[in-house]
Amino acid sequence: MTAATPYTPPQKEIRFVLDHLAGMADVAALPGFEDASPDMVDSILGEAAKIAENVLAPLNRIGDIQGAKLGTDGVAHTAEGWGVAWQALVEGGWNGLPFDPAHGGMGLPNLLNTAVQEMWHSANMAFALCPMLTQGAVNAVQLYGSEALKDLYLPRMISGEWTGTMNITEPQAGSDLAATRSRAVPNGDHYLVTGQKIFITYGDHDLTENIVHLVLARLPDAPAGVKGISLFVVPKFLVEPDGSLGARNQVKCVSLEHKLGIHGSPTAVLSFGDEGGAAGFLVGEPNRGLEYMFTMMNHARLNVAMQGLAIAERAYQQALAYARDRVQGKPLGWSEGQSKGIVNHPDVRRLLMGMKARIEAMRGILYTAAAAVDVAHHHADEAARDRAALLVDLLTPIAKGWCTETGQQLASDSVQVHGGMGFIEETGAAQHLRDARITTIYEGTTAIQANDLINRKILRDGGVTANRLLDEIAALGGELSGHADDALRVTGAELVSAVHEARQAIAWVLTAAKQDPRLPAAASVTLLELMGVVAGGWQLARAAKVAVGRLAEGDADTAFLSAKPLTAHFYATHVLPKAAALRATVINGSASVMALSEEQLFGAA
Amino acid sequence: MPILILADHDNASLKPATAHTVTAATKLGTDIHVLVAGRGATPAAEEAAKLAGVAKVLLADDASYEHALAEPVAALLVSLAPGYSHILAAATSVGKNVLPRVAALLDVAMISEITAVVSADSFERPIYAGNAIATVQSADPVKIVTIRTTAFEAAAAGNCAAVESVTTPAAPGPSSFVSAELTKSERPELTAARIVISGGRGMQSGENFPLLEALADKLGAAVGASRAAVDAGFVPNDYQVGQTGKIVAPELYIAVGISGAIQHLAGMKDSKVIVAINKDEEAPIFQVADYGLVADLFKALPELQQAV
Amino acid sequence: MKILCAVKRVVDYNVKIRVKTDQSGVETSNVKFSMNPFDEIAVEEAVRLKEAGAATEIVVVSIGPAQAQETLRTALAMGADRAILVQTDGATEPLAVAKVLKALVEKEAPGMVILGKQAIDDDCNQTGQMLAALLGWAQGTFASKVVAGDGKVAVTREIDGGLEVVSLTLPAVVTADLRLNEPRYASLPNIMKAKKKPLETVTPDALGVDVTPRLKTLKVAEPPKREAGIKVPDVAVLVDKLKNEARVI
Repeated sequence: MTAATPYTPPQKEIRFVLDHLAGMADVAALPGFEDASPDMVDSILGEAAKIAENVLAPLNRIGDIQGAKLGTDGVAHTAEGWGVAWQALVEGGWNGLPFDPAHGGMGLPNLLNTAVQEMWHSANMAFALCPMLTQGAVNAVQLYGSEALKDLYLPRMISGEWTGTMNITEPQAGSDLAATRSRAVPNGDHYLVTGQKIFITYGDHDLTENIVHLVLARLPDAPAGVKGISLFVVPKFLVEPDGSLGARNQVKCVSLEHKLGIHGSPTAVLSFGDEGGAAGFLVGEPNRGLEYMFTMMNHARLNVAMQGLAIAERAYQQALAYARDRVQGKPLGWSEGQSKGIVNHPDVRRLLMGMKARIEAMRGILYTAAAAVDVAHHHADEAARDRAALLVDLLTPIAKGWCTETGQQLASDSVQVHGGMGFIEETGAAQHLRDARITTIYEGTTAIQANDLINRKILRDGGVTANRLLDEIAALGGELSGHADDALRVTGAELVSAVHEARQAIAWVLTAAKQDPRLPAAASVTLLELMGVVAGGWQLARAAKVAVGRLAEGDADTAFLSAKPLTAHFYATHVLPKAAALRATVINGSASVMALSEEQLFGAA
Repeated sequence: MPILILADHDNASLKPATAHTVTAATKLGTDIHVLVAGRGATPAAEEAAKLAGVAKVLLADDASYEHALAEPVAALLVSLAPGYSHILAAATSVGKNVLPRVAALLDVAMISEITAVVSADSFERPIYAGNAIATVQSADPVKIVTIRTTAFEAAAAGNCAAVESVTTPAAPGPSSFVSAELTKSERPELTAARIVISGGRGMQSGENFPLLEALADKLGAAVGASRAAVDAGFVPNDYQVGQTGKIVAPELYIAVGISGAIQHLAGMKDSKVIVAINKDEEAPIFQVADYGLVADLFKALPELQQAV
Repeated sequence: MKILCAVKRVVDYNVKIRVKTDQSGVETSNVKFSMNPFDEIAVEEAVRLKEAGAATEIVVVSIGPAQAQETLRTALAMGADRAILVQTDGATEPLAVAKVLKALVEKEAPGMVILGKQAIDDDCNQTGQMLAALLGWAQGTFASKVVAGDGKVAVTREIDGGLEVVSLTLPAVVTADLRLNEPRYASLPNIMKAKKKPLETVTPDALGVDVTPRLKTLKVAEPPKREAGIKVPDVAVLVDKLKNEARVI
């Protein structure tokens, strides 16, 4: 057995972002969140950090090596120790953190849940998928299920006694859900569901006695396409009215996928209704399943975006530790008193700074979005709710696309810091890269996010929401570009330039869409990256401004706070300048994407 | 004023820790008295009388002192305290148990586990698991001090001090001895051995410890363990070397399959020569080892046993 | 039986200690603090005794700055019933802490006091013994097992030669060693409930205790560093070095 790499939850960074970028105090002031006082937040983060560090992180490598295995008993068995870890989350009541106390939840903000989820995912992403999916399933039932369905399922899903899944994909229906074939036929008080679903995360496992599947299927009279899909609860074991478990339902785990990464997470092929039909219970109204699923999926997209951040943080910690210990030659300009590790070689430092800056940028974006989710749901004022909802809608595809692509890049950079040792599995750096690879694919690929960004978030309102955000960022940039602090001044100026590039790109999209819809589509992922680069710069600039302000007020934590403007400065000079190139690609490069004919692409062999 | 040392012994013999404490006392003064409180402890008292530098041995022989329970022993020391400038004991499980009780009863501060005597009222002691060394000064009329035995050489034998009986005020205390489960071993005691060989989690199970023991027997060494090995149940708690276990500083310390947690390093880093055998070349133990061998311990140990 | 637990807020055991350049102490600003690990074990033991029906109430006490409230909340989240903060900003020596605890024991009249065997900052290993002395109670230090009986408690102690069992007449003081138990993680509902549990703040003055330090710290220095040596290729070279270079075998 190779040694597990340790994970130390970055509680101080998390706390800084919660308080100063996401506005934890404002969120705690929302109706219903009175319990989320600063000392409570400290206690909760502290205990979650212990679990992440001591319970979940040590299982990360074990999960990767052992994987989940389908037993001869037809049950997917998780790796050694995972059952105990799951029990720790259940006994700790952690699954219920953001949910309604009426069903056993703790009624705490989504923002706080986000911080806890970050730690779970950094500690063990393959494991953390299970609570993440379960929380998603709880959201769906809570928002759209009948009272009877809620009473029967929610308490045990919220406690974590049962887990939940999302059954969307079918072999022929991946990104295109119009091709969904699974069927549901009315049968008395329930439906009989038949069909096959693939890529079902934690579709089967041995962590709990029951699993609640949320399944998309068509009713017999349903219209064709995406408007004819309904959502059903299909439990692994039927649930009696008193809540006890009844007969085994017709849900069979046919196989588990062999994957590039997240080996510890069982990815199941599920067959429904092999002997006539699995009992399913309609969630909400018929034919509105996709709409319901999308509510969940938007939330899930932010969660997957979080995985991008989380895996990058874990990979960064590992790279940092290695860079300090590993000695190779004398670093340029090395002086007595510095460590001799490769951390003092300028290019290794460049890699590490690139990781650190982007991680802080991602954390700023994701926590800001998470706070906006709370405001959108809980603010007393409707206008404030709507504003927050628009921000969430806009940030979701940017966060999902940019944070997962960046997470992957940083996991790769971590391998690079390790040199040859990084390519060797025993070191553990490679696992993060393999695990990160799925994040740009599931819950909508980067291209799907980019399409969403262009079509629903930019073209639909003529770029109003996007430009409003850019106005805010430009205002901050303008303010900082006149600041006395050098790092802030450069950051402000670069931010203003980057916003200018983004505005031009958006203006082009609005025009080009009228000429040929393929033009913005071909530029969409590039535009998403441009928006991600700008949003990241926005968050680092905010952090730097806060830190410089606190230092001026005499805050003694100088090492931590003075790093903020320097980190923003690094980002402003290494990442923000990419905005100009990305703009040029969006505007000038789009036509060339489709310029070759299909024949030319395949070549005249 | 004279200095009083509480001896560490098992009635039948004196523990080596006492000889180290005597050396610490010689840095404070010349009139050194050693108290042996026990039952049938004359042999231990006679051994104490042989230690160079000891002026007088006080023997308190009573059933109540047989197991060195803190309550009666502390009461005895308090009754003897007037007239002494310092009361010393080794920082063993007896000294650590008894002396704070004495200090509180005398309403004075106590100075734990000193590693150096700066002057009659100032001492160096490690804090934060040995990551810092504090120099502290006491203004109290009597200084109550435990000493880290590895920081002071053992006093030589060859003396012949007088053994005096002291009247004992023993009254039945609120505690009583029930039983003890002492590890029996023919090998030298960990804290007194010239060579110590310790095993860690890398030993994989207690059944593999005989590999270490065979080598230890050939070298006349004591056998220790890391906290991880003790927590995993490979060996009993009294094998533990480390901040919360025993502090050792032998001529030669051989760490086998021990990664080198700070906690463990705090207990052995003052050893003269450190050898580390570990298959993980990144293990922190190598950062303090004079000689590091990256190897599978299950191959290296038998080879080593052949070669020495 | 009521149990009193004393807990100390200390620099977290994971923090790498840095000695201040002026040698006045170690750097404690902007470092993470948490409950002394041995005290955490003590609280866990008290909670287990309560769960087993041997105790009825757990009062947890900390002597320290206002931030020690967080440490007390942690203990409350683990299962203690109420908390007392004896607020003082200066350094506290074990004798002063023992006197404060004695004053509280006289008010609260617990049947047992459980605390960690030592704090991982000053590494004194004195407070429990001193408290027992001041109260004239029995002490069971370095406990690896605690069995509460009728009017007595059997404590298994970790001693240099192995283990020893002593029987203490209650009330008594027990100090926790590492292997007494493995502390639980506080559950989310209990963390939230802890906020609503009573936490009283008093001062040493109000308890009539003078906590002025008796010892003077002259300086705090870095320990001597040990340099890494060499790697040897095999057992034969190792033995040769030990025999002919280090001359230790």
